[in-house]
Amino acid sequence: MELKSKRDRLQVGLLLLPGLLVFALFTIYPIVKLLYMSFLQWDLGSMLHQKFIGLQNYIDVLSDETFRIAFANTLLYTLVTVPGQMILGLLAAVLINAIPRFRVTFRVIYYIPVITSWVIVSLIFRYIFNTEGMLNYVLTNVLHLTVSNIRWLDSRWGGLTVAMMLGIWKGVGWNLVVFLAALQSVPQELYESAGIDGCGAFQKFFYVTLPSIKPTILFALVMLTIGGFNVFTSIKMITGGKPMHQTETVLTWMYYKAFNTGSFGYAAALSFVVAVTLIFLAVLQFRAMKQKDAANS
Amino acid sequence: MHTLKKRELPSNILRYVLLLLGGAVSIMPMIYMISTSLKPNGALYEFPPKFFPALDTITIENYVYIFSQEKFYINFLNSVIVAVLTVVIAAFVSSALAFCLARFRFPGRKALFALVIGTMIIPGTTLIITQYQLASFFKLTNKLLGLVPFYVAWVIPFSTFMIKGYIESIPREFDEAVYMDGGSVFTVFFKVICPLASPAIASVSIFNFLTAWEEFPWALTVLNDTQKRTLPIAISGFFGQHQFTQWGYVFAMSVASLLPVLIIFICCQKYFVSGLQTGGIKG
Repeated sequence: MELKSKRDRLQVGLLLLPGLLVFALFTIYPIVKLLYMSFLQWDLGSMLHQKFIGLQNYIDVLSDETFRIAFANTLLYTLVTVPGQMILGLLAAVLINAIPRFRVTFRVIYYIPVITSWVIVSLIFRYIFNTEGMLNYVLTNVLHLTVSNIRWLDSRWGGLTVAMMLGIWKGVGWNLVVFLAALQSVPQELYESAGIDGCGAFQKFFYVTLPSIKPTILFALVMLTIGGFNVFTSIKMITGGKPMHQTETVLTWMYYKAFNTGSFGYAAALSFVVAVTLIFLAVLQFRAMKQKDAANS
Repeated sequence: MHTLKKRELPSNILRYVLLLLGGAVSIMPMIYMISTSLKPNGALYEFPPKFFPALDTITIENYVYIFSQEKFYINFLNSVIVAVLTVVIAAFVSSALAFCLARFRFPGRKALFALVIGTMIIPGTTLIITQYQLASFFKLTNKLLGLVPFYVAWVIPFSTFMIKGYIESIPREFDEAVYMDGGSVFTVFFKVICPLASPAIASVSIFNFLTAWEEFPWALTVLNDTQKRTLPIAISGFFGQHQFTQWGYVFAMSVASLLPVLIIFICCQKYFVSGLQTGGIKG
């Protein structure tokens, strides 16, 4: 609406002020500063005379072998955990939506891992996957699937597998709740007319349910992709990037470069590579969804 | 529909079986944590490992140890203070922003909203270096309350986005009625919008509480003194303290720090769901 009086305009300004101030100072300013920093030679040795070096930090990042490993690990983590969580969450939502009783009970149980902090769940998984831990005991001594204990946390693929399992396990409940809400908003008439047309349960799911909840799928996809690139605490607690930085993700490697080696310019450039990747992926996901829309209508 | 009931029964049994299976996987690690916290500390990495401790070996010694440490109460209180302050400030600031964005046209409104959405894409941890410099500049490092402005800044985009969506679903006639009676923008915001949008503000606040309660990288980076630590940092510190981790202590402390979250979750069930609902549909 248009603001008529001076008093009203002043009051809108006063309501905007605290949010703008906090947002500008603690979010926007650090972003701008980080961008500036990514073009400077800025490390422990050059704290006092930072020099403009153009794209050198970006070149360093992209040609760094460990960054490539970290980036590949993060990409793998995202490619595995995002569909993993979404499919299992959607499956659980469809099942819960169809049962007559105990819906709330199941929702609560599936949601408990979501509300438990990353530090705690990472430690639980570390304990379970320990070489002398419960899982190895079951695999080796009970099921006899392996001859000797698997050293999960001592290899790149072992460590990443544990982190990815944790990511899926912790995320299913969030997807369940999001998809359950979406399923309940699908108009019942659509299912009825699909039934009249002779559609079975599977056809109903693919021709009615999935197209109807597409906005929710896109929402989950974008949020979870961001979440996948955000993976930090679980890696830090489970492998700490070991062995030999083989299990680093982009953020743990950024953190290591900034706070363990003091390469701030490098870390700043790395942050922007991650940010640009995420923006690119988000645009791609929106485009892909829109194209499917056009194809369907 | 009722005639189908007999045919429904077998498929419902299958559904329950699948859901129970998934539920067991969801909850088992949590139960294992609790059971480990009840084992004597020496029996960790026992062979063969037992999922449940034998009944006669169950002990609360880990809890006695944790609760006898003054540090635990300080860490706990630190977490409560930080989380509550974050929630209260973020609720006010985000609602005010959301209200202005939803209801008024002012210069830069679209740009502001685009910025709010855009910053949701950038992982918070990537800003840790420049935020650290900012924190040192304002002398906020190694101070408990220094965490709060950064947490508030992190949760503003998502909170504003969610609350704005909800406010847009409130009919403008409510606002107009107040303006007709000579009410001001403040009156509309505090007397109409805040009460009507309270379900959205409540759901957002629960998420913000969780965020602040469990935040790890930032608190790890800026807090040095054990007296100033929040719970996640204290737990992770316990983990790294000795060469052989005292898992009993770690998990007893974890259970204790999980309890408030569980209580809030069970009491505020419906807000968890309604908050996600608006997000899913509007998104």
